[in-house]
Amino acid sequence: MRLLLLALLFPLLGHAEPATVIRATELKSAPASDAATVSQLAENAAVDALERRGGWTRVKAGSAEGWVKMLALRYGAGGTTKRGDTGIAQVFNVARTGSSGTQVTTGVRGLDEEKLANAQPNPAELEKLNKFAVERSAAAGFAAKGKLSAHQVDYPKP
Amino acid sequence: MMRVLLLVGLFVAAPAGAQFRLPDLNVNRLVDTVKGVAKATHEIDENEEIAIGNDVAARLLGAAPLMSDIRVQRYVNNIGRWLASQSERPDLPWKFGVLDAPQLNAFAVPGGTIFITRGLLEKMQSEAELAGVLSHEIVHVVRKHHLKAIQKGALTHLSADAAGAALTSVNSEARSKLISFGTEMYSRGLDKGDEFEADRLGVVIAARGGYDTYGLPAVLQTLQRMDAKDSAVALMFKTHPAPGERLDLLAKRMQPLLDSYSSQPQLRERFVLQTKTSR
Repeated sequence: MRLLLLALLFPLLGHAEPATVIRATELKSAPASDAATVSQLAENAAVDALERRGGWTRVKAGSAEGWVKMLALRYGAGGTTKRGDTGIAQVFNVARTGSSGTQVTTGVRGLDEEKLANAQPNPAELEKLNKFAVERSAAAGFAAKGKLSAHQVDYPKP
Repeated sequence: MMRVLLLVGLFVAAPAGAQFRLPDLNVNRLVDTVKGVAKATHEIDENEEIAIGNDVAARLLGAAPLMSDIRVQRYVNNIGRWLASQSERPDLPWKFGVLDAPQLNAFAVPGGTIFITRGLLEKMQSEAELAGVLSHEIVHVVRKHHLKAIQKGALTHLSADAAGAALTSVNSEARSKLISFGTEMYSRGLDKGDEFEADRLGVVIAARGGYDTYGLPAVLQTLQRMDAKDSAVALMFKTHPAPGERLDLLAKRMQPLLDSYSSQPQLRERFVLQTKTSR
């Protein structure tokens, strides 16, 4: 079972993806602001993104490796050049489709504008939806199983 | 007093609305219209909101059915219900559904119904990412973004008396028009400001629920790396601000909060177990 899980998680962790940093950024030795700085990355520097941990992403930048703030990254080679990331997006899609395997087997066209415009009510599906709902207390139990605990956090000021 | 005020308002507004040309009016019709305006502009109460939401949800389910995998549906309901419990409207009849569609999208329906597509679920890598998206949608319901847009639309597109009838009575032609309008709203999208608000406050809901707050930004990065012309994201990109812009705003406004709760659980393994292995 554990092996199966590892096999499922592995492609996500081992996958390197081209990205650029959108502003001058420090490459850190660990995913923390107070970690040692490995090197300084210039705005638009190209990197390969490897994995995310909290607000940090592990990247390869040339021969160096380290962590940068996740929100400083944009994916696709060449940053804002749309031509570049089209190809990457396609490669990425093919890879993901291959791993899930369900997309090709369904004959559903899915949910587009035309479908929304012509949709008729489906009361049978609505009834199913109601049956899937869970009680507040049951959901709290499920959260506890995942070691999630609730905190008081205020909204930002408008 | 209220009635007099409304009458005054109607006469002032009359030149703009062709259907209110004065010579055509008789007193009875005028009274009906005033009642309609009163109904259409009042604060829609919770029961009415839930009824409108059920009608819109039934239409959306007519466009795409639910995935038949009960385990995935329960899983998404457990997470969604837990997060909704951390919101300002914890006692709505919250319901969550995974639509069997390959496109990437998520929808918030008034009254507490949230849909996410199979296509979007398949792109996610952790429960924190799912929680980030559900939290964003929960904010739309809590702040009544769609409900307000539907109410505004009713007043713009229906005559005043029809709008009043549509919002309060379940069986009328006007109601059917209103629900069509409400469903098509998911093709037009909300104001950008509503989407940005749902991002900011959604991150807070995820933090309250104990999740790694970077779940939503991670999904936005996944979307950002996709080709905007890909038909799988066409509708979502049309109805939302660009993911890059949303990420910029989150970085600008929410970075300290995001960082304070970023070490909370992502629950990657549970997500994989509950969603991927069942296929």
